[in-house]
Amino acid sequence: MNGQSAAAGAAGGFLETRAGRALASNWAAFFLIAMFVIFSMTSGSFLSIANFQNVIHLQTLPFLLAAAETFVIITGGIDLSVGFVTGLASVCAARLIQLLLASGMPGAQAVSLSVAAVLVLSLLPGLVNGLVITKFKVPPFIATMGMWGIANGLALKVSNGFPMTGLPDRLPEIGNGYLLYVMPGQFVSFFAKPEGFANSRIRELIRLLPYSLPFILLVLAVLAFVLRRTRFGRHTYAIGGNVDAAIRSGISIDRHLILVYVLSSFLSGMGGIFNVFQTGIGNYTTFNAQYEFFAIAAVVIGGASLAGGKGRIWSSAVGVLVLAFLENGLAISGVQPFYRYIAVGVLLVVAVVIDKIFPDLR
Amino acid sequence: MSSEPRAGAGPRAGTRGKAASFLGGHWIYLFLVLEVIYFSLRTGGFASLNALQILLYYGVQVFLLSIAELFVIATGGIDLSVGYILGFASIISIKFMEWMAPLGLGEPLTVLFGVLATLVVGLIPGLVNGWLVAYLKVPPFIATFSMLGVCHGVSELIINGVYAMGLPKLAADIGSGHFLYVTRGLAPSFFSRPVVDRGVKVLEIVPDIVVVTAVVVCILAFALGRTRFGRHVYAIGGNVDAATRAGIPVKRRLLGVYAMSSFLASLAGIVYAFMYVSGKADAGASLLLDSIAAVVIGGASLFGGTGTVQRTMIGALILAVLDLGLRMAGTPTFDKYILVGVILIFAVVIERYMPEARK
Repeated sequence: MNGQSAAAGAAGGFLETRAGRALASNWAAFFLIAMFVIFSMTSGSFLSIANFQNVIHLQTLPFLLAAAETFVIITGGIDLSVGFVTGLASVCAARLIQLLLASGMPGAQAVSLSVAAVLVLSLLPGLVNGLVITKFKVPPFIATMGMWGIANGLALKVSNGFPMTGLPDRLPEIGNGYLLYVMPGQFVSFFAKPEGFANSRIRELIRLLPYSLPFILLVLAVLAFVLRRTRFGRHTYAIGGNVDAAIRSGISIDRHLILVYVLSSFLSGMGGIFNVFQTGIGNYTTFNAQYEFFAIAAVVIGGASLAGGKGRIWSSAVGVLVLAFLENGLAISGVQPFYRYIAVGVLLVVAVVIDKIFPDLR
Repeated sequence: MSSEPRAGAGPRAGTRGKAASFLGGHWIYLFLVLEVIYFSLRTGGFASLNALQILLYYGVQVFLLSIAELFVIATGGIDLSVGYILGFASIISIKFMEWMAPLGLGEPLTVLFGVLATLVVGLIPGLVNGWLVAYLKVPPFIATFSMLGVCHGVSELIINGVYAMGLPKLAADIGSGHFLYVTRGLAPSFFSRPVVDRGVKVLEIVPDIVVVTAVVVCILAFALGRTRFGRHVYAIGGNVDAATRAGIPVKRRLLGVYAMSSFLASLAGIVYAFMYVSGKADAGASLLLDSIAAVVIGGASLFGGTGTVQRTMIGALILAVLDLGLRMAGTPTFDKYILVGVILIFAVVIERYMPEARK
């Protein structure tokens, strides 16, 4: 964070100061706070625990995909297949659960077995991506775009082009469950609604801490630790920063890149399984979802560079939150949701221009 | 802009047989022929004039988008926004014609002005893309992805959640019309379907929009292959620093390339509106894979400096044959996505290991 970059000088006096640089390197976080302030004023119901919990709960999948994309983008690559691998994992999990249930296996067993199997299966697309990229020297954009098509086609085949229903009702209850249910002045209940609680009074019940929150915090914390504190993380930065120097320092580039793409598709697979728990059905990914693009957008807004060598898990998480609260805040303030797409475009360009002005941040 | 290939990513040096080199340069032609033979054997009616016309008719969007993508990729960039520019153009073309209808210009003028206005407005996304990429040095991936979002948002705002409809009848007639009609016992008729009794067979030859697309593709093949503009495009993609030193106006050329890309996407959008008599924001969302795949299968490198219109068209035809063949064979289109993905990767691997002998 020291040294005067010539580009920063060109950008004006304020940006050279400590405060200016702090603002530039954390602009996404400041932007997020500014959004909180503005949306709190434009809408009465924005600033509430329920709304914040909902937004974060619904962003579990984008968090996972952005974390996956962070690793890949730091190596200087890109993974376009995350969205469709998510869909593939979702429909595979649903199909497996259906099959195991039909074979007479008890629900809990069928679900846990399917989840484990799909987590293992979700290593495969990444393995293929990694092998194609390292052994056949196919650019990551093309290799993962190929996987984009393959995963999409497979997911449609598995699901026959329809969302897959008929899964146990317990799934969405777990996926959308809360740690704590509070009825002010009456009771506090852990993990589940109290027995016999009338659904008509559900609106009075205060639900706190969705399961997805500790889950995603744990996953992100582990990934952030891996990226910042372990050799795996240092190698990831090294490959993205300067591939020749990384080779000279004895890093096994091919093996490491394969692992990064495997991690990426593993996290996408995890996202697909979460999707089953959240919605209670198996969903293939539609073209309109554009999960991969929004994940990449979050990572870039979080300050990573597509050239590689830069990026942090928590910054990408802030990027996800910026996109999420933008959508939520606009919707809740009664603005046409379509402005969100436009805003994302503008934010991305801002992110890159800031990256250009301060090439040496982080 | 054009990022350098990673160290060691280039084709391995060494002796290559002439056969391998020939195959590397011509496998797409062979593949296309084999594909056509396979589907002709597998499904009756695939090898027919009718099927060929259907193939070209439903392929025009991908043909136009892949050429748009080719110019951008040849400069070492990428344009992710073409699909949504297509959707945007399909909407505004209909809206323009709707607004002009009450002016009493008559249908031909309304359609003409609507098309021209759409093509002019359709330049704007490309100009912004080009400005971001060339002047602000925003990576093409980010700049055009941003434009994808903006076009999506603006399109949805214009139509407000429903399809754009209300295309003049003349435009729809052009969209479904043919260049030549041949009827037994009558003189052949150009552009307008002869009035015949029911049951009399009229042979329809070459849809109008295929004619338009073919003309555009030929012009662009000339522009990329034979003009200074085309040479500049390759030079920028080959080595941007060398291009700058050689006095090529790199920024202006990039602006032009992105503007042309969005111009072609707009044309594809207008054609979409004429064909389907409706406009929607995500009309081209699923075409991005096909249009980039066509360029890559055609042998262009994403690092820029290579690629021709002719080979890109072969790439697009491979995809179109695959699409129609699978449909006619009754296979669900799901298989198509898988095969496109596989062919895409296969194409790059072949180019790496069997590079075409350079002249």
